[in-house]
Amino acid sequence: MAFLEVRGMVKRFGGIVALDDVSIALEQGEAVGLVGPNGAGKTTLFDCLNGVRRVDSGEVSFLGRRIEGLPVYKRARLGIGRTFQRLELFAGMSAREHLMVAERVHRGDGRLWKDLLGRGRAREPVPRVETLLHELGLEEVADDPIESLSQGHGRRVELGRALVQEPHLLLLDEPSSGLDTRETADFATILIKLRDRRETAMLLVEHDIDLVRRVIERIYVLDFGKLIASGPVDEVFADKAVRRAYLGDVK
Amino acid sequence: MTRFLSYAIPGLPYGCVFALMAVGLVITYQTSGVFNLAYGAQAYASALIYYVGVHAGWPHWAAFLVAVVVVAPLMGLAMDRCLYRFIRSAPVLVKLVSALGMMIAIPSALQLIFGSQERLAPPSLWLPPTSVYFHVAGDAINGTELSTVIVTLAVVLLLSLMLHFTQIGLRMRAMSESPRMVQLAGINSELVGVAIWVLSGFLAGLAGVLLAPLFADLQSLNFTELLVSAIAAAALGSLTSLPLAFWGGIGLGVLEELLGGYLPSGSVLSSGLRPSLPFVVLLVLLLVMPGLRERWFHDDPLAGCDPPPPPTATTIGGYGFEGLMRTVRWSVLAVFFVSCVTWVPGNWTFTFTQGLAYSIIFLSIVLLTGMSGQISLCQASFAGVGAFTCAQLANHFGTSVFLGIVAGAAVAALLGVVVALPALRLGGLALALATLAFGLLADNVGFQFSWSGNGDSGVNVPRPQLGSLSFESGKAFFVLTCVALLVASAVVLAIRRGTTGRELAAMRGSELAANAIGMNLAKLKIAVFAVAAALAGVGGALYGSLQGTVSPNDFNSFLSLVFMVVVVTTGVYTVEGAIQAGMAYVVLYQVLDYLPSQWRNLFPILFGFGAITYALHPEGVVEWQKRRVVEVFLAWRKRRPEAVA
Repeated sequence: MAFLEVRGMVKRFGGIVALDDVSIALEQGEAVGLVGPNGAGKTTLFDCLNGVRRVDSGEVSFLGRRIEGLPVYKRARLGIGRTFQRLELFAGMSAREHLMVAERVHRGDGRLWKDLLGRGRAREPVPRVETLLHELGLEEVADDPIESLSQGHGRRVELGRALVQEPHLLLLDEPSSGLDTRETADFATILIKLRDRRETAMLLVEHDIDLVRRVIERIYVLDFGKLIASGPVDEVFADKAVRRAYLGDVK
Repeated sequence: MTRFLSYAIPGLPYGCVFALMAVGLVITYQTSGVFNLAYGAQAYASALIYYVGVHAGWPHWAAFLVAVVVVAPLMGLAMDRCLYRFIRSAPVLVKLVSALGMMIAIPSALQLIFGSQERLAPPSLWLPPTSVYFHVAGDAINGTELSTVIVTLAVVLLLSLMLHFTQIGLRMRAMSESPRMVQLAGINSELVGVAIWVLSGFLAGLAGVLLAPLFADLQSLNFTELLVSAIAAAALGSLTSLPLAFWGGIGLGVLEELLGGYLPSGSVLSSGLRPSLPFVVLLVLLLVMPGLRERWFHDDPLAGCDPPPPPTATTIGGYGFEGLMRTVRWSVLAVFFVSCVTWVPGNWTFTFTQGLAYSIIFLSIVLLTGMSGQISLCQASFAGVGAFTCAQLANHFGTSVFLGIVAGAAVAALLGVVVALPALRLGGLALALATLAFGLLADNVGFQFSWSGNGDSGVNVPRPQLGSLSFESGKAFFVLTCVALLVASAVVLAIRRGTTGRELAAMRGSELAANAIGMNLAKLKIAVFAVAAALAGVGGALYGSLQGTVSPNDFNSFLSLVFMVVVVTTGVYTVEGAIQAGMAYVVLYQVLDYLPSQWRNLFPILFGFGAITYALHPEGVVEWQKRRVVEVFLAWRKRRPEAVA
């Protein structure tokens, strides 16, 4: 039984077929890339994996369970974490609060009646949150309002918010977009550390080929909603069909 | 068939006016992303000026020229230039509150200028209203009806020719994709935008002048209902299609008359359901058309270029003397409390008690909107539910008022759960309109029965009694309301400080991400709507008990809008904000009461125009001023040592 298995996923928007019979599989702790030109359906695939969009047909099984019918929050609780291409941060909260609310949801003991009885304990420091803030280099900005953080810090807060929930699978949607070269390199270092721990499988959508080569072991290539290639990174980039999809017809 | 036609045909003139408004709304919404809730008020302005002009003895054409060709477009232009252009990419709440403020302020401002006396028999535009031109299916078609239909068809024909066959029309259509993309193509999109607002202003003015003679007198309320119908018609066209919006308007006008014809006359259903039909239609459309829900989030392809919205500041802090602030705050409260129970005259204690009851209602807005980012425009209705439940239980079953308040809160909470159901699928503007629909349904139908609000006669709410302890006197009731407010504040603060508060803040920040970290938003929204409704219910029941007699008019939808604007203007993020809003509301009202009656219009004007400050100071005017005082004080303290040296 595969860790994550997608079989024959189809997603249509009106007349457009955004995902056309896509099948992929991931093993526990594996770091896999998902590349393809703009509009190939990468983000749609993510949306269908974490439940933001419902698939039109196809199966998704995760940890031996069919999940394509589950709502987003249930998939998250099963252990699918996600970051977003356009940052989705909680305006008005600090980086620490981002991690703390995610940790609390993960632990699942927040109840309205507890708050009303003054038993909420929302403000107690959580060791796991502090460790992550340190590992992600967010300690210094942990209490600043999130609006004042740079894009690079914002991406790390999103990563931390996902990681604090100890996900089994992490969906990373273009983590390098909006980052400069150094920030991208730093981010890659964090991802490599994460990969080497082998606790979390990663599916990474990325245009930055350097980042892909450093972090990823094998990739899938999408083009116009179809899976056109898969395999080890170097082999796939040598493939003719992939080159055509990215660069057009090169004679 | 003849019967059907005889009901349907009188609906056509109404339909035409709805259609004109719907078209105007869609054009501006598509090109600027601002949903112009003040559109009904613009129509009212033209109708009023036309009325005043004609009654001053001007020829009809001159009054028309001034009201519709000059003033109406200028108003559209002013709305865009002075307000809407600054908030195009602002968060939904900012856009909504600014537009709501205008919607409330403009009619009052007009009445302040032109007087608020009754205006009977508004003049017809063109053909005389008394002559009958011909009969269709037994309906006599008079001049007003005929001219409305002819003028509408002519204007719409010209409009569609312009949109499809002229340069400016092409540019306007391009603007609906993205004003900034149009600008990148080398077109002055601001200029095209100006043209669109001028055009929409003209359409509003025309609709206003055409609608006025269809009613017996000229009232701003008719134009709010006109706006409502136009929104429903625009929704029928998915807020994008002009032809569909047009036909939607016509259809709605006809449907209203049909409903009036076929429903048994004299029942609450026929008198109440007819005016709320547009909102029922709107509610159903919002819930069943999946595409429409997403349309309300007007998405500019270049939206990513926008700077992030300013942080939502809460209370003043970070200056290092929170302790002092706390002392000051509690001292003020203590002095206020002691004064009220000792030397303050009875009528002012009454006013302050009203303020406290309103503060409890306003806390529900702080919880829903400030803390959770949900917009509800029916909080006054929940307050009404609380008051009427308490009253009916006390009057019919002799239930203690205390128990009645609890029961009122419980019933309100249950209804809050019902209202939360659309909130599960809708957000932002769509949710605002859906909740407004609930409020209007409560006004027109729910509160009209003898077992609920008992229509215009209202119901009696006794003062509570606890054993031998009576709260009959003003001072005793004041103390009771203070305690209730303290408890309500404690509830909101406990939620805010606890895990739920964090989760609500996360939901407000990004529903997408909140969902993705495993938060069950459905549960959270239902809970927060229920708690907020219960708070409003308690506030409403206390208000009712204070007044002794309350009717649906004390809790109507217009008040819901005013509440929203008042709270958001004074400070929607804090418990303090709600209390300040409650007090400001009643004290200002009381002070204006000393002025000549016309000046009472100042109240909605002040808060309406005050709402504009929300765009710049989301923390609210009171917090903003406090912060300024603190900063001035800090600057003074910093300068002082130098002066000494």
